[in-house]
Amino acid sequence: MRALFDFHGMSAMIYKEARHILREPMTLALVIAMPFMQLLIYGYAINLRVEHVPAVYYSEDAGRLSDEFVTALQSSGEFDILSRVNSPQALREAIVAGKAHVGFDIPENFSADILRDKPTPVQVLVDGSQSNIAQVASAAAVQIGAAMALRLRGVSDQPEAIDVRPMILFNPSLRTPNFLVPGLIGLVLQNITMVLMALSIVQERTRGTLDQVLVTPIGTTALLLGKLVPYGVVGFFDFMLVLVMMRNIFDVPIAGNIFVLLVLGAGFLMTSLGLGLLVSTYAQSQIQALLITAFFVIPSVMLSGMFFQIELMPKAMQVVSYALPLTYFLELLRGIIVRGATLGDLWVPAVATIFFGLLALGLASLRFARTAG
Amino acid sequence: MKTAAIALNGLTKYYGSRPVVDDVTFSVASGSIFGLLGPNGSGKSTTIKMLCGLLLPTAGSAYIDGLDVVTRGMAVRWRIGYMAQAYTMYDDLTVDENLEFFARAYRLSANQRRQRKQDVVALTGIEPFLNMRSALLSGGCQRRLALASALLHDPPIVFLDEPTAGIDPVARRDLWDLFFRLAEGGKTFFVTTHYMDEAERCSEVGYIFDGKLIACGTSAALRQLASVNRPDTRRYAIDAEEPMPTFAAVRNLSYVRDATIFGRELHVLVESTTSVQQLASDLKKFAPAEAIRRVDPSLEDVFVTLTRERDA
Repeated sequence: MRALFDFHGMSAMIYKEARHILREPMTLALVIAMPFMQLLIYGYAINLRVEHVPAVYYSEDAGRLSDEFVTALQSSGEFDILSRVNSPQALREAIVAGKAHVGFDIPENFSADILRDKPTPVQVLVDGSQSNIAQVASAAAVQIGAAMALRLRGVSDQPEAIDVRPMILFNPSLRTPNFLVPGLIGLVLQNITMVLMALSIVQERTRGTLDQVLVTPIGTTALLLGKLVPYGVVGFFDFMLVLVMMRNIFDVPIAGNIFVLLVLGAGFLMTSLGLGLLVSTYAQSQIQALLITAFFVIPSVMLSGMFFQIELMPKAMQVVSYALPLTYFLELLRGIIVRGATLGDLWVPAVATIFFGLLALGLASLRFARTAG
Repeated sequence: MKTAAIALNGLTKYYGSRPVVDDVTFSVASGSIFGLLGPNGSGKSTTIKMLCGLLLPTAGSAYIDGLDVVTRGMAVRWRIGYMAQAYTMYDDLTVDENLEFFARAYRLSANQRRQRKQDVVALTGIEPFLNMRSALLSGGCQRRLALASALLHDPPIVFLDEPTAGIDPVARRDLWDLFFRLAEGGKTFFVTTHYMDEAERCSEVGYIFDGKLIACGTSAALRQLASVNRPDTRRYAIDAEEPMPTFAAVRNLSYVRDATIFGRELHVLVESTTSVQQLASDLKKFAPAEAIRRVDPSLEDVFVTLTRERDA
């Protein structure tokens, strides 16, 4: 057996490893840039507070106090009042479609009731698909109502004059799995298929088997599709498996149309496979492929809106967020699974998902054809 | 005139500003075995890769069966088989699965696949290993599998990049016997090698050094090259039980221009005025009497001479 404490030859090992590291400048650059990027994201982009929650309102009130209430909501910084909608149904629709997380329903006699010292109820619809936002937004709405009533003491001495009643939609008990699991499905799907695809091609290149294939009359498209389809099937099987797990182990029901979900999931698989292919055209080794993939995964986790509100990120980070395919797929997953949204509600993220799929595959194929000789 | 199976015309490849293959021109007749020789890094593999469409030439052109390898790449692929220098079959697939994949790549029908697989398996003698994962094959068998894959679609032209590197002498000889049988059947072989004995067996040989083709022709013609057989020199072979001391001794003789060891034989290039007797008597001072005879240059002598000339 070799002795454990024997330091002879260490300089040789250090010399060799240092050479390995310096020989691959791309690996070195990735390793240096990785903590830089992580720190930037963690320190700069992540905001654990919940503020500026996108909201809409509906008002039947003719008096000035309802306007004052809306102004109070807006100026609190807790809510970003996006628009006034035309019906109580439209409040719900805006939330289902993912345009707003909160909807305020201001009743007909809001101003008059307050002036008559009569408590007036304000119904607040809250999107339960993001439980962290729902919790904070509900509390904030109640607080703003109470504060306004207090301020109006000259008019009414009842602090409960504005009776804000939050109603959590879709996930009334604010269960965490309903919020996290649909998002994780997207992340898992992206990472697995991207890594598999990238490694599979890099491995063929480093072993020389790719050259052996390239001297055969297999066409470029055939080669690419022949690579993509089997991994696409594996990815799709994974997708269905995690949906079944989500439904049966985590008790998260699928409120919307599962067929639409599966079709859009296939669209997202195109993106992640295309990204894997793209990574393979840059990576010279399997380690590099893994590092480049990790470079993509970290922003996907932190900036896609999976855990943190995109609206609160600095503008530059928001640009990155909206350039991430996962941001849109996440919107689709939460929309369809938790909120029961339809394709009509979610056409923007749906189009974006398909667009990214075609873009990733197209770019990757072009680069592959150019670099494969 | 019959179209050459392979023709290179000023073929050039640069990596950055460094020429790896530099203005190489020659052609290979159909049905012949052409050997491309040269030291490591001389540009042999790069040449083969350009001919097989795996690398784009920087300049010049190349033709396979009259088809431009750059503009008619796909048509060329149907006509060639390629066996890479490294082992490039799929390790985790069995021998049969590897063959099945390449047969499908060449779009053979199910019947053709069965037939052709049978043919190449019989030809290369790998029947006993059909269901074995290819990673577990011996080096020789792996080369045979690679050759079988390259022959599946019955290509008229086969490129072999150092096909016998790293395999034992018996397997090497068997493989060459196979190349001869196939060449007799009309196939053209383009082989790169380090081994001089393999080069001697080729119908024609090209010698590439530092990216430049410095000699090309039949081995008989190369041996007669004027630069190798200068009138002011003679070449002798000395049988030596222990070649090293003899080698050291002859190099110190003033009339010896060059000396090379071939196993237990020394080839010595001397000034033409030197007689066998003089060499023998000079050698006696250093080593026991050894048989000396006048010889024609071997192919290795040719290449050593040409390389030295180029270096000088």
